[in-house]
Amino acid sequence: MTEPDLLAAELALGLLDGADLLAARGRLATDPAFVAQVADWEGKLAPLFDEIGPVEADPALWARIAGALDAAPPAGSEVLALRRAVRRWQWTAALSAAAALVIAVLTGPVLLTPPPAAGPAPMVASMELPATQLRLGVTWMPDRGELMVSAAGMAADGVHDHELWVVPTNGKPLSLGVVVAGAARRVQLPAALAAQLGAGATVALSVEAIGGSVSGIPGPVVASAKLSST
Amino acid sequence: MSAPPDLIEAMRGIAAGDRRALETVYRATSAKLFGICLRIAGDRGEAEDALQDVYVSLWTSAARYDPARASPLGWLAAFARNRAIDRLRRRRRVDETAPMEAAVAVADAAPLADAVLSAGQDRARIHHCLSELDEPQRGAIRTAFFEGVTYAELAARQDVPLGTVKSWVRRGLARLKACLEA
Repeated sequence: MTEPDLLAAELALGLLDGADLLAARGRLATDPAFVAQVADWEGKLAPLFDEIGPVEADPALWARIAGALDAAPPAGSEVLALRRAVRRWQWTAALSAAAALVIAVLTGPVLLTPPPAAGPAPMVASMELPATQLRLGVTWMPDRGELMVSAAGMAADGVHDHELWVVPTNGKPLSLGVVVAGAARRVQLPAALAAQLGAGATVALSVEAIGGSVSGIPGPVVASAKLSST
Repeated sequence: MSAPPDLIEAMRGIAAGDRRALETVYRATSAKLFGICLRIAGDRGEAEDALQDVYVSLWTSAARYDPARASPLGWLAAFARNRAIDRLRRRRRVDETAPMEAAVAVADAAPLADAVLSAGQDRARIHHCLSELDEPQRGAIRTAFFEGVTYAELAARQDVPLGTVKSWVRRGLARLKACLEA
């Protein structure tokens, strides 16, 4: 049994956590052969569901689901909710840019130094964490393929992890990894993930169980931002 | 009895934003998926929240379903299991004491085949292949599948080192695969 196949089985069973889960999820986002191996194991294991008998749920549950859907984005667009949050962020960003301009005008001329043109410029995104004074800083260095995530001041609560995602314009969110609370970390991204990052790319932060989302679908999104050149 | 609804067609309908298609899938599959959520979540209230989460996320994720790769019910079952596990892990306090019953507690449940998820031969095969495994290997794989626990949780429950549990499972998975493909 090959190592990737074993990893696929472990992922399908939900055995992994922490760094192992991250590595497997990273692979899932970038390696179609691995996606097929995981699907193959899910298929192999599926007959075991026969051992779980059907149980009727509360008849009122459908109404609850229909009610929740009325508040949810339309089908086929799981990124819409994220985009909506992003628009809100852009709005506040525009406001602060306007405020900054006012300050610049009031304090007299400022010297504008254009960034050096050599190599693609690093891109940054900054996310405010709700109900805290904290910000999560994301820096993408395209020339090195490195992502730096600074979560200084964030504290682990022992129950949740924050997971960082990139949200492609036409696709499902891809995990960039679980944020290490209280630390600045640098990761080398695989080429397929790196291709999704660039100016205007949306990054989003979700709250997950320790180890990150198992289903590959983000949990509640608490912040998002667009990458832009410094 | 009306003919069973075409679930593949209904899954396409959901991806296209047809609310009635979602209701069709809900009516046809919610009892099965609720059984799965109940198994993972352990209590009815939490399982109902998980089931709601399953169909609400299905509404936006149905396009991920590829009929060439899996039966609709097989895919939905795995989808529900993964969503229920996500919820469970998001809620679970790390300081909660793990249940004391050992992994072997679910080891020898008799198959209650409902013949929906797979052809009879495949079903017989995985049960046969699991039964060929030695007990610690079989128990660990079954517990992981039915209760959605990680290596670390398996090790804590059984009070054995993490490395031991990993080697049980990995050896078990290798033998399972060899048997399934024999």
